[in-house]
Amino acid sequence: MSAAGLAVCVALAFAGLSALALSLDRHHRAALRGPVPKARIAPLRGAGWAGLALSLYAAVALAGWNFGLVQALGAVTAAALAVAVCLTYRPGWLRPAAVAALPIAAAFLPFALAAQ
Amino acid sequence: MSEPRRFRPAMAWLHTWAGLVVGWVLFAVFVTGTASYYKDDISRWMRPELSESQADPVLAATRAGEYLAGQMPEAGGWFVKLPKAEEPVTEVYWWKSFAGPFHHALLDPVTGLPSKARDTRGGDFLYRFHFELGLPSLWGRWIVGACAMVLLIALISGIVTHRRIFADFFTFRPDRSRQRAWLDAHNLVGVLALPFHLMITYTGLATLGLMLMPWGAQTAYRGQVPLFYEEAGLMTQSRPPAGRREPGLPLGEFVRKAERTAGEPPEGLLIASPGDAASTVNAVFEEPHGLAHLHPQIAYDALTGAEWARNGTPGGATRTATVMYGLHEAHFAAPALRILFFLCGAMGAATVASGLVLWTVARTPKGAAPAGLGLRLVRILNIGTIAGLPAGIGAFFLANRLLPLALTHRAEWEVGAFFGAWILVALVGALTPRRRAWPASLGLAAATFLAIVPADLILVGEARFVAFDMAMLAAATLLILAARTATKPPAALTRRPSPQVAQA
Amino acid sequence: MGGRARLVIAGRVVLAIFGGYAIAGLATALGAILLPLPRAEAVSAATLASFAVMAAAVIYVFAAPTLLRASASLGGCAALLAAGLWLAGGFSPAGPA
Repeated sequence: MSAAGLAVCVALAFAGLSALALSLDRHHRAALRGPVPKARIAPLRGAGWAGLALSLYAAVALAGWNFGLVQALGAVTAAALAVAVCLTYRPGWLRPAAVAALPIAAAFLPFALAAQ
Repeated sequence: MSEPRRFRPAMAWLHTWAGLVVGWVLFAVFVTGTASYYKDDISRWMRPELSESQADPVLAATRAGEYLAGQMPEAGGWFVKLPKAEEPVTEVYWWKSFAGPFHHALLDPVTGLPSKARDTRGGDFLYRFHFELGLPSLWGRWIVGACAMVLLIALISGIVTHRRIFADFFTFRPDRSRQRAWLDAHNLVGVLALPFHLMITYTGLATLGLMLMPWGAQTAYRGQVPLFYEEAGLMTQSRPPAGRREPGLPLGEFVRKAERTAGEPPEGLLIASPGDAASTVNAVFEEPHGLAHLHPQIAYDALTGAEWARNGTPGGATRTATVMYGLHEAHFAAPALRILFFLCGAMGAATVASGLVLWTVARTPKGAAPAGLGLRLVRILNIGTIAGLPAGIGAFFLANRLLPLALTHRAEWEVGAFFGAWILVALVGALTPRRRAWPASLGLAAATFLAIVPADLILVGEARFVAFDMAMLAAATLLILAARTATKPPAALTRRPSPQVAQA
Repeated sequence: MGGRARLVIAGRVVLAIFGGYAIAGLATALGAILLPLPRAEAVSAATLASFAVMAAAVIYVFAAPTLLRASASLGGCAALLAAGLWLAGGFSPAGPA
């Protein structure tokens, strides 16, 4: 898989992990105002797992099952580290970064497909 | 705690003590292993005299054979690693028996004479240190293997002990108490890269598998372990020497034949019983694209050049083993993925280091009570390893640039710089008053990495090495940041109270 | 910590290391000759699994309620494995059946 492909996977994983993080009270308080509204927990978790699933799907589609699984796990680790660092030092940036990650993933996608 | 009555506290105890006992060795194993993902790039940087060029493998093989024939009468075996575009040298090994010692030389691929590149062990030094610790091969591998098993135990017990693995997944509170901050850090780097940590540990054990656990092969094969490799499809059939001396065909012939058969030149030639009438030349091919670490081979009769044997096809279990070696070495990783492996390896080193520091922080006596002997010893070993090893690596690279090219045993001197700097920085850490010990030793380590950049630019100054020099600057920056963190009291670690705490 | 407690911990460590390795080694040898696979495959499979076996044994030694219980269990396991190995011909120089 090319660097562009990996970028797509990392971006999708970042978006998903951010949503999962924001579904927890502690991180929601840090990044936005106040605790998570009850009604938002399920949609955030759903979006979070969806993002991770998309990241895995992209990895396997671009590189096959054996390589894809390895790439996906690496991407999730890198993305998780980024979320943790963001939450610790610049929590206000998390939601904008997570939202921006989606068009970034879309932007890299054609390059990833072209490199196949 | 005398008799652990409950599972979790027992596992917590086990994790703490198992982690401590092997932590210093594991830090060294993780750091040198992580560096080894780039061992070929390191070797290139350390042999600047070699420029990328196309070498003829047929000629290189023949010349290598002529060189080897003059080295050891009646050698037990030779290995010729053929030159590639990025590595235009022929690497040769020769030995009397598989028990060693293995002699080694780098040859010019055109003349067959010893290479003009500076005498250095290159990236291979760090790679071998990763699983041999600079010790005699069997000792080093057993120690690393044993430590890897303890690491597996530490991982399992750590997972059991960590209560809030999901709730605390992204949690890092550097502004709280030192113990809280270090525990958070340890949990963060440990959990986020947990799939990697588990994989790298188990695959590491599997790679040393037959040495650590020979009982299966010994029992099933009645001690004839080479037969296992043959039946497993990992090596070709072998045959004993005939006892008569008869010269074989020039080695280039076999490269030609192998290339004609397989469509690509082999990666290397393994010659059994060179100069004997029953000698065989085994063409070893590069790993095919995939996770599994496999080397297809074709063996030829050394006298006639006729194809004699090929290796079989490994079955599912053996393939699984080769996939494990493959995952551990990550040869298949393209540049972007390699960066991720490097990141995960660094997180592994960070998990070990943060665990070691946490151990001392959690046991620092409150108030004016003096630290006991055990605690002081652990602190000294911590600084010595965590600051000392990077200093050693920096000194190793620096020595490569600074040592005179014509110095005899130059490669050994470079290794001496590695150990010397490590010991020196460890001593500084041990003898400096406690408040300045960490910043002083980390600062020294940073200095060695910083010094590499001007040394390289002035003494070698090639554009293709800029990336490496940037990496050296990054390492220095990391060490300087660590030194600065070590000087600050905990409350000043973030400029404002952590939002995670303010809203709690 | 009392002297007796230290002895018990030392006992668990020794049992974990030597007992764990012994169990793993015996299990590997037995697996290599009993697994219904081609010989080389059985060796590969048994050897790869051996590290998980040793890890399980070590964890058990530290989780067991008493050192006595841990010793008895590991000893029993080892005896069973050794008996199985002997019956399967693993110890005789003539080779497994």
